[in-house]
Amino acid sequence: MKASTWTYARRTTQSLCLALFLWLFLQTEYRGIDQLPYPVSLLFRLDPLAALADFLAPGPFGWGVLWPALVVLLLTVVFGRFFCGWVCPLGTTLDGCGKLVGRGRRTYSPAWRRVKYHLLIALSAATLFGVQLLGLFDPLAIFLRSLTLAVYPAYNFGLNRLFDFFYEYQVPGLSPLVNASYPVFRNHLMAFHQPIFALGLFTLLIFLTIVLLEKVERRFWCKNLCPLGALLGLCASRAILQRTPQTLCADCRSCGSLCRSGAVRDDGHRRSECLLCMDCTGFCPDERVSFGLRRGVDVGPVVDLQRRGVLTALASGVVLAPVVRIGPPAWQNNPYLLRPPGAVAEEEFLQRCVRCAECMKVCIGLALQPALFQAGPVGLWTPLVVPRFGYCEYNCTLCGQVCPTGAIAPLDLPRKQKAVIGIAVFDKNRCLPFAKGIECLVCEEHCPTGDKAIVFEDKDMLIDGELRRLKFPRVVDRLCIGCGICETKCPVEGASAIRVINEGESRRKRLDGPADPYA
Amino acid sequence: MKPIDRRTFIRSSIRTAVATAAVGSLPVLDLLALPAFAAEAPPLAVRKGTDIPVLVRQTIDALGGMARFVSRGDVVIVKPNIGWDRTVELAANTHPEVVTALVELCLEAGAAKVRIFDRTCNDERRCYTQSGIRAAVEGLRSDKVFLEYMDRRAYRELAIRGGVAFDNWEFYQPVIEADRFINVPIAKHHSISKLTLGMKNLMGVIGGNRGRLHSSIAESLADLVSVVHSDLTVIDATRILVANGPQGGRLEDVRQTDTLIASPDIVAADAYAATLFGFDPSEIPTITAAARRGLGVMDLKRVRLV
Repeated sequence: MKASTWTYARRTTQSLCLALFLWLFLQTEYRGIDQLPYPVSLLFRLDPLAALADFLAPGPFGWGVLWPALVVLLLTVVFGRFFCGWVCPLGTTLDGCGKLVGRGRRTYSPAWRRVKYHLLIALSAATLFGVQLLGLFDPLAIFLRSLTLAVYPAYNFGLNRLFDFFYEYQVPGLSPLVNASYPVFRNHLMAFHQPIFALGLFTLLIFLTIVLLEKVERRFWCKNLCPLGALLGLCASRAILQRTPQTLCADCRSCGSLCRSGAVRDDGHRRSECLLCMDCTGFCPDERVSFGLRRGVDVGPVVDLQRRGVLTALASGVVLAPVVRIGPPAWQNNPYLLRPPGAVAEEEFLQRCVRCAECMKVCIGLALQPALFQAGPVGLWTPLVVPRFGYCEYNCTLCGQVCPTGAIAPLDLPRKQKAVIGIAVFDKNRCLPFAKGIECLVCEEHCPTGDKAIVFEDKDMLIDGELRRLKFPRVVDRLCIGCGICETKCPVEGASAIRVINEGESRRKRLDGPADPYA
Repeated sequence: MKPIDRRTFIRSSIRTAVATAAVGSLPVLDLLALPAFAAEAPPLAVRKGTDIPVLVRQTIDALGGMARFVSRGDVVIVKPNIGWDRTVELAANTHPEVVTALVELCLEAGAAKVRIFDRTCNDERRCYTQSGIRAAVEGLRSDKVFLEYMDRRAYRELAIRGGVAFDNWEFYQPVIEADRFINVPIAKHHSISKLTLGMKNLMGVIGGNRGRLHSSIAESLADLVSVVHSDLTVIDATRILVANGPQGGRLEDVRQTDTLIASPDIVAADAYAATLFGFDPSEIPTITAAARRGLGVMDLKRVRLV
């Protein structure tokens, strides 16, 4: 099989795009500058699904951040699904791994083709009615999430163990070299702190499943399941960039079996399904195939969505939304549901967050963890502040800078330092002075607000029949912003003796007095 | 050479072993006892001034110059307090100019390598940058000076001989191995130890769950002093934090005192610094604990002011 210049151009572009996204991924980390110098979340600013989530969420559309996604949509209307074939990092990964896992040649029931459209319709309908799950199926989110939560931590873990080995066992000749290269790796090619995430394995399994589906059929995910592919397909069905010949040639029909997206068939070239991989320009033995800009040709065949299927998808989306929303509010159910500073009110937050994991990647203190059910049934992979693992750094504003959909508002430093994540509460059964009559005050020492939100008072305590004067810490509610450094640094082993709860978080409307239970 | 028989071999081996054990048990060879000897009227230099590089030079010159502490070819560790993500004027970290002036003196004295680090409380990348110390050290443009992040692999558990609060703790190996260790704290208020000075600054070269030290801070810090010997302690009191320490964050809590204190005796240096806050050294439990254990002199009348 011959590869044409177009194929080489496509492969080069794919590799460059993947390299660019990986480079941006590595730059999604604090490297000595408070304001990130690169548009690290570019992948999601290009993402029409992220734009859709933002568009359907309350409030104005984020033109400033998401205009590239609209450019992608416009280009798709003209050229077709170039994004899937040339840009999408998940698509590139699938193409790259295809050789490794084996490429399936089977074609399953054409009904599979409809699944992605129905998925898109159901997800959009649910989003419109207030339950946004686009991010769960967004290929770009799947890609970055897997990278952030599983692949990158594993990569760091492996490298760290390797460096540790050569550090611990002085291998003549090798160890000095390896040890000398460690700072370079740590400062540029690795995470500064080993990332640790819940759901790493779970996220990876989903990613691997998508990769393994290559064994069933090439680009199985892209052809049959990807809602972004469906959205772009809908835009591409009248694309001006068209293929000649439109149908299979009577004397050859190779395109019918070789086309990775199964776009060329007897009834014509389905532009909504063509990934523009351009391979057919190469493998045509007579070099008959070419692509060119043409107008005025008929719409061409599209995937038959079937009215019944569309209505079912629509209905399931419409029904799903209210059923989910009648559940108890997650923040009341779980007092430890803490969101990053600048996060909008919980309901809107869930509508905006596309689970891209950019905030978890960038968090300097490893404070953000993906939720499983802590944020309710639809909060999967949304970011939680888990202060026992890491705290919110007082002078840092990175998570707001990377969020592509405004789920975490970009706050400037003075506003961020006033954004209340929650309030710290002592567990007096465990806190050393209260529980054991031992002085400690580590929490007070670390409290970052200029006017400390943890103060101490000298009080007498009866210990073994003897009165002793001890320093007892106390939280000043009006000063505490819930950054959680007290919970992180608390020297008590296991659960911290001071924990942040979401009481009084600034994204919720503060009540003037205690809530009236009879209101 | 005459071959020795088995009997002679065994006899001479036993003799050697006994002799070695006897010599090793002599208290005069116990390095840990050395600070007690140093306690004979240690010199203490205190200078005031607003030009920090000049101030540092004057203070060290008063002690006889850096050459008294650093020899040609030494690997020197300069250990400032870089614990917090705070800017210079908030007085939470050692002043960058104090650090660089000391580093320059070390280089003039012929140091082969000067290493600077601290185990920070906030993220180390933020602290190194925000404190101004990264920019100042990079400004030296010397290939002998290294501002390093601490290597998580380089902590070693050591027994603390005569430890009161702890029998053992993890210490940072490079500190133990270095030829010279210069301790450069900033003088600050601290709620549990009252003040954080030279002794408390040693918490930046240990590993483990440091919060545990707080429950008996005085004896814990004395334990650290007994392991990590500071060849020179230079207390930055150019500005001091008098409340909301050790992290600060409010300019109202900062006092301009334009003072530098230096001594080879860490306890003496801390004792003098305590007076800047209006304390008698005997009011600071960490200082009294260390003095009681012979780790230095806290009685300022027994200190030789130079």
